[in-house]
Amino acid sequence: MRFRRTPFGAPGSRRVSVRAVRAAVLVFGASVTLRTLRAQETEPDRLARLDANTRFTIHVLMDSAEMAGLPSSALRSIALQGISLKADSKTIVAAVRQELANLRTARTTLGPVEPEELTAAAALLHAGAKPGQLEKFRVRQRGRSDLQAFTIWADLITRGVPSEDASSAITKLWDDGADDATFLSLWNNVQSDILRGLNPGAALQARVRETPGRPPTAKGQPPEGQQENTRSE
Amino acid sequence: MTDSEQLHPYVEWIIREARRPVVTDPDARDRVIEAIRVEPLPRRTAVVRRIFAPRVFRLSPVTGALLAAGLVGIGVIAGAVSFNRDGRVAVEQPSVAAKPLPVSDTIVKFVFFAPRAQQVSLVGDFNDWDIAKTPMNRSARGGLWSVTVPLSAGRHVYAFVVDGSSWSADPSAPFAPDDGFGHANSVKLVGRGSSL
Repeated sequence: MRFRRTPFGAPGSRRVSVRAVRAAVLVFGASVTLRTLRAQETEPDRLARLDANTRFTIHVLMDSAEMAGLPSSALRSIALQGISLKADSKTIVAAVRQELANLRTARTTLGPVEPEELTAAAALLHAGAKPGQLEKFRVRQRGRSDLQAFTIWADLITRGVPSEDASSAITKLWDDGADDATFLSLWNNVQSDILRGLNPGAALQARVRETPGRPPTAKGQPPEGQQENTRSE
Repeated sequence: MTDSEQLHPYVEWIIREARRPVVTDPDARDRVIEAIRVEPLPRRTAVVRRIFAPRVFRLSPVTGALLAAGLVGIGVIAGAVSFNRDGRVAVEQPSVAAKPLPVSDTIVKFVFFAPRAQQVSLVGDFNDWDIAKTPMNRSARGGLWSVTVPLSAGRHVYAFVVDGSSWSADPSAPFAPDDGFGHANSVKLVGRGSSL
């Protein structure tokens, strides 16, 4: 490669133009470097931290959820949790797959409910509840949410209450028309009993007996004002 | 095929012609080059001639390196604009104004007791489980850590991260089962209005 002065233009103007080009290139290079660094700092999508294969699999699972009308945000949240915990790719994909399966089962069992209720039901299934135990909640009063009941139910199983005991207790309270405050109060009492050293199952049964409720309705018949989740998806 | 086989006369003629040495005129190449040289060049205007005239630029190694860096930068920006980080071609997204903004009208206070911790962070589905996003503040006395965050109405799963590595569920909230990563989280149900 040969280096010599450009053959056209006056020598003075040549020096100025070379300096200007150098300055422009320097400024442009600096701005590009800054932009790139800033883009890396802000990290628009944390899923990008996964390797390409895992990321692709997660996106496919999320797309499947969306196609089925299920909340893909729940899958994304689990993947991000795995990233923060530095879990390996296999564990992350397995956790996301499990969540998708639970969401599908919850949708089949409960019918078309709100996304939050669906994720709460999926968590409950993940905790150990059986789909058949959730079927009772397909029929509900207009405007009544099972979010609190499912949350307390999952917590009780996670704390060591046998799944059957937790199911019968929560279902009884639900049939008795218990509201969110009743479920929360039950949880507070059972939790303090467990912390005092009581057996989780025994603590729950004792507290359920104390909880006031109204008489349950006839079996198989939804109470007045209740309806089944049958609206089309 | 054997030598004894009789060839067609036409084939024999082709073979003879192919074997005959080619004799060329030694001055033919020079005559062709001379003919090309005297051929007039296509006419160009002064501007076009100036644009296409060969020239040599003088660049120091530093300037050359910066120029190369600039070109790489242009490629990086073009790639970032054209493709998502997962390699898929970016598609036009509807503007934020066209979509309803998320409802985040509830301020929720999270409190955690960790007297020996140097730092505590709140992670959850509301901050993409990012440890750096929501650091908690230590109270003036004792080991009480707290932070307030705006949350949309609904169900939120969260945990506390002590000293960047130890994950703990909130003892004052219902547990969510282990998602497959070896620890339980907590659940916060948020309604409308303040839940402080």
